[in-house]
Amino acid sequence: MNNGFLEEKKHKREIQVRGFLRTFFSIGINFWNRIWRGNAPDFPLFIFASVTSALMGLPIIYVIWRSAFAGKDRWVRLLDTRIPTLLWSTLSLGVIVTIFALIIGVSLAWLVQRCNIPGRKAMQWLLALPLVIPPYVGAVTYIIILGPRGWIRDWFGSSPFNIYSFWGAAFVLTMFTYPYVFLITSAALKKMNRSFEEAARAQGLTSYEILWKVNLPLLRPAIGAGAILIFLYVLSDFGAIAMLRYNTFTSAIYYQMGSYDNLSATVLSMVLILVTLIVLWIEARTRKKQKYYQTTKSYKKPQLYQLGFWKVPVLLYMLAVFFLSVVLPITVLIYWSKLGIEAGALDQRFWAYGWNSIKVSGLAALACMVLALPIVYLKSRYKSYFTIFIDKLSYSGYALPGVIIALGMIFIFNQYIPWLYNTPTLLAIAYVIRFLPQSMQSADSSLNLISPSIDEAARSLGFAPLKVLFKVIIPLITPGVLAGGALVFVSAIKELPATLLLRPPGFDTLAVRIWVETSESVYHLAAPAALLIILVSIVPLKWMLSKY
Amino acid sequence: MFKKKKITIMMLIAMLVVAFTACSTDTTQPQDQGDVAPNETKELVVYSTRNETFVQPLLDKFESETGIKVLALHGGDAVINKIKEEGRNVQADIVISNDIGALEHLRLEGFLQGYEPNGIEAIEERYIAEDMSWFALSARARVFMYNKDLITEEEMPKSILDLADEKWKGEFAITRGGNGSMIAHISALRNEWGDDKTLEWLDGVKENAGAITQGHGDVRRAVGAGEFKFGLVNNYYYHQQLREPNDNNVGVIYLDQAENEMGTVVNAAGVGFVKGAPNELNGQRFLDWILQPENQREFSYASLEVPINPAIEAVGEAAKISDFKVQSMPLRELGKVWADTRNLIERSGLDLEIR
Repeated sequence: MNNGFLEEKKHKREIQVRGFLRTFFSIGINFWNRIWRGNAPDFPLFIFASVTSALMGLPIIYVIWRSAFAGKDRWVRLLDTRIPTLLWSTLSLGVIVTIFALIIGVSLAWLVQRCNIPGRKAMQWLLALPLVIPPYVGAVTYIIILGPRGWIRDWFGSSPFNIYSFWGAAFVLTMFTYPYVFLITSAALKKMNRSFEEAARAQGLTSYEILWKVNLPLLRPAIGAGAILIFLYVLSDFGAIAMLRYNTFTSAIYYQMGSYDNLSATVLSMVLILVTLIVLWIEARTRKKQKYYQTTKSYKKPQLYQLGFWKVPVLLYMLAVFFLSVVLPITVLIYWSKLGIEAGALDQRFWAYGWNSIKVSGLAALACMVLALPIVYLKSRYKSYFTIFIDKLSYSGYALPGVIIALGMIFIFNQYIPWLYNTPTLLAIAYVIRFLPQSMQSADSSLNLISPSIDEAARSLGFAPLKVLFKVIIPLITPGVLAGGALVFVSAIKELPATLLLRPPGFDTLAVRIWVETSESVYHLAAPAALLIILVSIVPLKWMLSKY
Repeated sequence: MFKKKKITIMMLIAMLVVAFTACSTDTTQPQDQGDVAPNETKELVVYSTRNETFVQPLLDKFESETGIKVLALHGGDAVINKIKEEGRNVQADIVISNDIGALEHLRLEGFLQGYEPNGIEAIEERYIAEDMSWFALSARARVFMYNKDLITEEEMPKSILDLADEKWKGEFAITRGGNGSMIAHISALRNEWGDDKTLEWLDGVKENAGAITQGHGDVRRAVGAGEFKFGLVNNYYYHQQLREPNDNNVGVIYLDQAENEMGTVVNAAGVGFVKGAPNELNGQRFLDWILQPENQREFSYASLEVPINPAIEAVGEAAKISDFKVQSMPLRELGKVWADTRNLIERSGLDLEIR
């Protein structure tokens, strides 16, 4: 009797709970569907992307947390005195470098992919080579050549222009960042179907008009992607900028750190994050309504333009860029390496450093290829506020100075995830946070050329959404993903500030070796390590370009 | 409005995910600490702001003599920030710094602990922290290094005051005001002159400097290459430049040495003991060990600096600490005035100036 009463009570409660859960879930599902506008993605994919973006958001959380404790006075003081001038010097440099790098990168990509240049095949990867030269190494070589006491002065009596200036910094950064645009644009040009151009020609458009009305608009996503990588790179660069005695937000952050003022540094970082958001917003805004898809079934190789009279000037232009961005710096490096090797720079430890570099950067590159895909896919196929948010969040690490990322990771991992702390894996995670956007941009610009109708076709044939991703989409965008991975590898192997702070004690990489010597300006001992970084990076670069 | 709400909700979710991963591992932490019985470790973790080539041979020597494995992180000035960020789960035992200001800064913020090592008597009191949590081992004097192709010793200015003199406009290079050595130097000048005169001097220097660089290496190189007649550096940069394969025709001036002048400002490199050091006993052993005369010698020899302990002989090119007049402000006072000096430099605008 008593028992039965209890049972009944229990039963009643169960019904109540069930009812509650049902309403709860239906509200949840309703809300969920509203977010995705009735087109919700696969749950595993969604979880995967969310966890990735949470990881990417770590530095931002750190910066917000710290700068919140900076106090009103510090904010006011910095806003009054520092931020306006820094904003101007940083943005002007970023804009100029982006413009010039776009001009050089897009023009070279078009010439190499679409014109009958002698040695096209070789040019394809030779012109991408500056990517593997760390910009701080590039800056040093140009100081040695163009500096007030450089080689030019020794030979001609005076240096034609002051390398320690706005234009000096702009020149060096342009020469060593244009390959981002060159590579991404080349990849897009290769995928571009000739039938568009043929249709345009059939309509009576001239080659010039086809370039402006067909090629360039189709390249718009790739150009935008490259522009973002370059602009944000300029925001975050420290090495080259400090050597050329220019001042940006990032260098100011470093200088504040140098006098142990972590708080002012995070306040400046906060501003940097805002700038990044604005830049991303502008880029998204300007391509909002445009969508370009390509069909791959009817793909035909593009025809090469005959340059005719223009062949010589065009060749000269390409050779000039190649000479300034590759031949000169490498010549200087070889010269210094010779001095360094004579002074005994190569010992057994040196090769161990090289192996460490390859290991950590390789791990980061692999991780980026895997992690970028879900985010990019969600963003492109399941547009919602959530996907926009995780996409934007992923950029925070790319624009922030490496040292801030490192401190953020120390702050979080040392306290809460100590088993990863002081391991090479943590270093790889830092590289992922810093460079994931590179692989995202690369994958994104490939994915943007594939129409969602292909997904729909596959779905209508009974493929599950995840199967569509694996069987249809991934094979189509593999070149883009691999290119992204290679980009990450060459960036990670050059990375310095985060490496310096996050590596386990006793774990060294080539970039650290370069720093140890250049921090005391002993260039001849730094040169062999720089040369080895370049040699090691050439392998993935070539492999990646051959996979296209 | 509704859009904004959604975005904030998303942000909250993202943060929750982070918090969740963070909390779930939090529980393992005390166990970790329990495993490590205090004082029975075989390791020593050393963070150093100095150039690795100066410090690593010394650490290797310690390792081979004691059998304690040394894990070293040579990370530049940022290791100070790292120690501050690691405060809740301390990793380092010993910090070696180029700059006493940094050690005193750590001490004042509560990141160091006191210990009285054997042999500390050899170091003069002004080079030891109040609570003995750090002590200095090698000094570097602030000097003018000049290019002998461009200027002779007689023509060279001999006082730090001369930098504010219009006569030298565009002729010299200095580091930016936020550089640690520079802050220490300016602290000593404030101690000597007071704030108003120092600020006036800073304005003059900012006006006159031909180049303001990120670090001393750039100054050394620029002067060696003849971009400028002279530059303000620590004395060992001069010794380094002498050992360069080229551009090495340089000389040195110790500043303000005349009878009624203040003497040259000296900064020092030293060793600090981190509070909560995981290998505390080994840290103490290291501090005792490094005070042995031959190790003191090693410490300053590798970097071409001047031993603080006058009983230890200096490297060939370097003047002994008793050979020149030293400005009177004790280095241990540095931490207290550090923030004020920084503010003063900031007021002059020299902190971020680079050109």
